[in-house]
Amino acid sequence: MSVGDRFPKIDGVAKADGSGIYADDISFPRMLHAKLLRSPHAHARIRGIDVSEALKLPGVIAALTGDELPLKYGVIPWTQDEQALATEKVRFVGDEVACIAALDERTAEDALKLIRVEYEVLPAVLSPEEALAHPEIKVNEKAKVGNITKHVNLQFGDVDRAVAGAAAIAHETYAYAGSTHAPIEPHCAVARVDADGNLTIWSSTQIPHYLHRELSRVLGLSPAKVRVIQPLLGGAFGGKSDPFSLEFCVAKLALKTGRPVKILFTREEVFYAHRGRHPMKMDVTVALESDGRIAAVDNKILIDGGAYASFGMITAYYAGQLLTGPYRFGTYRFDSYRMYTNKPPCGPKRGHGSVQPRFAFEVALDEAAEKLGLDPIEVRRRNFIGEEVDTVNGQRITSNGFLKCLDLVEQASGWRERRGKLGPGRGLGVAGSMYISGTAYPVYPNEMPQSGVLVKLDRSGRVAIFSGASDIGQGINTLLCQIAAQELGCDPRHVTVVAADTDLTPVDLGAYSSRVTFMVGLAAQEACEKLAAKLQAAGGATFAEACQKAEAIEGAPLAASGGYRTQKLGGGYRGGTIGASPAYSFTAHVAEVSVDEETGIWKVERIWAAHDCGKALNPTLVEGQIEGSVYMGAAEAQMEEMVYNEKGLLFGPSLLDYRIPTSMDTPDLQAMIVESNDPNGPYGAKEAGEGPLHAAIPAIANALYDACGIRIRELPFYPQRVLKLLRERGRKEEERVA
Amino acid sequence: MMTLPPLEVLRPGSVAEAVEALRAHPGARVLAGGTDLVPNLKYGMYDTRHLVALRGLSKELRYVREEGGLRLGALCTIDQLAENDLLKARTPALAEACGQIAGPQLRRMGTLGGNLCLDTRCVYINQSYFWRSALGFCLKKDGTLCHVVAGGKRCVAAASNDTAPALLALDAGVRLVSPRGERVVPLREFYLPDGLHNTVLQPDELLVEVRIPPAAFGKKQAFMKLRTRAAIDFPALNLAVALETEGAVVKSISLAVGALAARPVLIKGIDDLVGRPADARFAEELGRRAQKQCRPLTNISVDPDWRRDLLPVLVRRLVLRALA
Amino acid sequence: MQLLHLFVNGEEHAVAAPGQRTLLEALRYDLMLTGSKQGCDKGDCGACTVLVRPRGDSGFRGEPILACITLAADAQDLEITTIEGLAGPLGLDPIQRAFADCGALQCGFCQPGMMLSARALLDKCDKPTLPQIQEALSGNLCRCTGYTKIYEAVEVAAGLRTPSSRAPVQSERAAASDSKAQTVTEIVP
Repeated sequence: MSVGDRFPKIDGVAKADGSGIYADDISFPRMLHAKLLRSPHAHARIRGIDVSEALKLPGVIAALTGDELPLKYGVIPWTQDEQALATEKVRFVGDEVACIAALDERTAEDALKLIRVEYEVLPAVLSPEEALAHPEIKVNEKAKVGNITKHVNLQFGDVDRAVAGAAAIAHETYAYAGSTHAPIEPHCAVARVDADGNLTIWSSTQIPHYLHRELSRVLGLSPAKVRVIQPLLGGAFGGKSDPFSLEFCVAKLALKTGRPVKILFTREEVFYAHRGRHPMKMDVTVALESDGRIAAVDNKILIDGGAYASFGMITAYYAGQLLTGPYRFGTYRFDSYRMYTNKPPCGPKRGHGSVQPRFAFEVALDEAAEKLGLDPIEVRRRNFIGEEVDTVNGQRITSNGFLKCLDLVEQASGWRERRGKLGPGRGLGVAGSMYISGTAYPVYPNEMPQSGVLVKLDRSGRVAIFSGASDIGQGINTLLCQIAAQELGCDPRHVTVVAADTDLTPVDLGAYSSRVTFMVGLAAQEACEKLAAKLQAAGGATFAEACQKAEAIEGAPLAASGGYRTQKLGGGYRGGTIGASPAYSFTAHVAEVSVDEETGIWKVERIWAAHDCGKALNPTLVEGQIEGSVYMGAAEAQMEEMVYNEKGLLFGPSLLDYRIPTSMDTPDLQAMIVESNDPNGPYGAKEAGEGPLHAAIPAIANALYDACGIRIRELPFYPQRVLKLLRERGRKEEERVA
Repeated sequence: MMTLPPLEVLRPGSVAEAVEALRAHPGARVLAGGTDLVPNLKYGMYDTRHLVALRGLSKELRYVREEGGLRLGALCTIDQLAENDLLKARTPALAEACGQIAGPQLRRMGTLGGNLCLDTRCVYINQSYFWRSALGFCLKKDGTLCHVVAGGKRCVAAASNDTAPALLALDAGVRLVSPRGERVVPLREFYLPDGLHNTVLQPDELLVEVRIPPAAFGKKQAFMKLRTRAAIDFPALNLAVALETEGAVVKSISLAVGALAARPVLIKGIDDLVGRPADARFAEELGRRAQKQCRPLTNISVDPDWRRDLLPVLVRRLVLRALA
Repeated sequence: MQLLHLFVNGEEHAVAAPGQRTLLEALRYDLMLTGSKQGCDKGDCGACTVLVRPRGDSGFRGEPILACITLAADAQDLEITTIEGLAGPLGLDPIQRAFADCGALQCGFCQPGMMLSARALLDKCDKPTLPQIQEALSGNLCRCTGYTKIYEAVEVAAGLRTPSSRAPVQSERAAASDSKAQTVTEIVP
């Protein structure tokens, strides 16, 4: 069992028998439970906070307010605009204001009601349009101009001229609704301080290293006295890739009380923590030449960011930078605004920044191709950008298996025989996409490796791998075992992985931007190669014997390290490194839908998803990533939306009201792996965890068109929206007949 | 975790003890399956400190008996009824309704009595204390304002029980017991148009049995539920119909619609349709009549205009399915 | 406070708890059986699913219920099986083994409940159809897998199929198109 095999996950048994430890499964003697008081206002100035009555409640041990943790933090060093607890202003309903630690949760909850906060309610802006129109209502003082987190306006070539000379143009506006990750595990953090003042935090985070840095800075503690450990993580999808209030609060309360402290979010609080998909409004033009080649793409994007920046600066770039494959663009322009609004902060949800414009573009491409009488798959083939090529915005594409992806979904879906011939109310649609395998842009500028792996061999034949990477369910720890087995010739079951513990493991930047398999994989490969050379030189009949001989030669325990060093990539313009990745994954989907034209109720029957992941280090895990991504994309198309009332209060923050699909709502998913064997990836591997989400949504939209002739441009594709479009279509047909 | 408030749980061993406990503890809530009560308690929706748990009565009140009509103990679980062969044969509309409630675990836990007495639901009430405080509360609890009907003085939280329309269409009755004795109330008189308390149940009264008349057995019947998600979802609309036909002609009609306001609606003024051929035109006409009497509201998150648009279509399909 | 007698995974435990203690709190906090997860706390997600049967019943482990909305005191007349009790003296239950082998466990958080629902299904119906599996698992939300590998695992455990073994497809080398990076203009507002 080595690279390329379907090796069972090494944490599979612990997850199957209930012994696996997640953050909320950790508890200590004398541990306190803390709860956060949240703002009931979307925007208000804090005039005063009085915790004295709360402190009198029996069982309450400590209270915390923002003045004790005043430093601002945030995952991107240039836009640090969050506080553990608000000091001057609250910026959304649910913003954290104070924290109470008590002997049990109920007491802490009761104590929250005794805290007196005096608010001066301020006018709130709840949409990006309002945020632009009312710069005088400042949501977040971090914005230099009005309420703009970030504005990016880039043009590649002469777009206007290309549009003017085009043979077919599709120009429409699209609206993408906000949605959230909804991992089944709510956020949880536990802190403990030892007698020497060393602080340990166990947290459901997917960025232990950034959390470590921010905790040390905000708490004013030497990083050498702070340890972050990520236990098993119950789902993340980008929703746990910011430092969160609860982590600072448990740490500070543990320091204040000398006792272990835990905060477990309720499901409702998970919705306020959010960092989910940004709502976007997009005004897209796709212009084709007469042979179907893309002459120009132009996109104006208005992004609803919520109250804090999170990764928003990157979102504004990703919304444009990640669209320029798998197709060749003649010219390209995008103009994106990421706005602050008084709502829970948006952030990186699986397919960060690029899912929304991908939807708009892939639908517009179908529309423009139809004007030329081109088959949707054919127009995508004709525009294939190829391999070892630069995109219009200066990103280097290495391997590219997109054509094979198209072939597979075309065949599997019976596209040629079935499309347009399935009868009324049933149809097929196609879409493609690409995504990054990590980014050439470490979140804070530095010359150190983005990933590090340490491998130690024991004379027993046991291998220990120390890796800072976060296994968030995607299975990186399992891949590390397979890589060790591949390089060293050991039994992968004899490998121990020590992961995501800032005291013990080398730094890895975290599980985001689909960087982990690529970068950690290369680091592990490098470390293992060094050891393999020593083992080979030493000889030995068995792996254990080779270890013993090599250790004798070495005269010291055998260990080696490997790293992933950030490459210089991307365009030579401002922002040109954002979206630049050492390798891109490619995806093609065909969706089949059925529509009840009388009610607008529709169903995704099946999605065929072919994904070029370079090389499947473990096909079972890759299929799982594809299936999970497609499910999540289809869910956004079907039913998911964050809806707020006129005061900025989120409707239905629960898993009953915010509906995520059950087994009975999920279409039949057919995952197909394509291997293009990337020259730079570990064994040729690229990402698989986010790319396959993108194409699901436009493939469904395009299938709805094939099924019943409607172009749906607003998510989710609620049945009432479908019905409205069907009626408009009916009226237009009547007019034509008349 | 969301925690429950401090509670004293009373555990009567008989119906008499149960209603006595209710009498002795004004404001006490009845705990049967707990699938709705426990979440609501965690959300701080009730101020009660006392629960009367009926677990000790489950042997006594968990029966399906054919006695003339059908007699169903109030503590029959939803899944028990969904899978019951007698129900499938005699009252398929009720079996279908039970089969479409929530998900498998909740059907295993939830009871018939609990579903019939389900508290009304609204997007503005079934949330945490914090959420409702940020909203400014509403007239169902802690507030004076209705967020569904501007200026509304009466709570319009929605009857969201799936068994209610089915049993209304079947002309069922419920047996209620209190310390003063017992009474049988036709289901069509059981519900009140008040979201605060939408039944005639007195505070010390317990619903112990559902009675379905034998006339229901021969009726052509069907149930239909509109919901966003195929499981773990309350209705956006639910409908049940029971029809008698003689030859090709309609002899009696009973159509009920739920998930509107506080009271499930039994469609009225359709007696003139008796005698019509039981066909698609009849189904269409019934749909039009039903639409006029049903007003979907924003108390449920699914678009009320669309739900209203759908009513005639769903009624037509329901009737045709029943006739098929 | 009252003394509760809970019969969990074949053992009787006495737990002192107030009347409002939920079964999930009792399992996780009092008995340290942390395999039962809390994901929503109000009966929406299924992560806290446990199997129950009346005390003294033999044979199958019973039916799935939700521990987060069950009062611990109401569970005293039941035999409860949590995920920790699913494995037997001979090792993992076939459901657990199949979930681990088929990649049905990604983050794993929803899976204790999912596996117990699956166990209850196979106890009632040893060769379920796909719609039966989908129906039986419809009270357990999973956010990672798209459910596909979960169905596969249930079918593998039921002996209806072997784990997926579809081989990846190789793509041919492709030439570059005539695409090139274009001159950039940054438009400053």
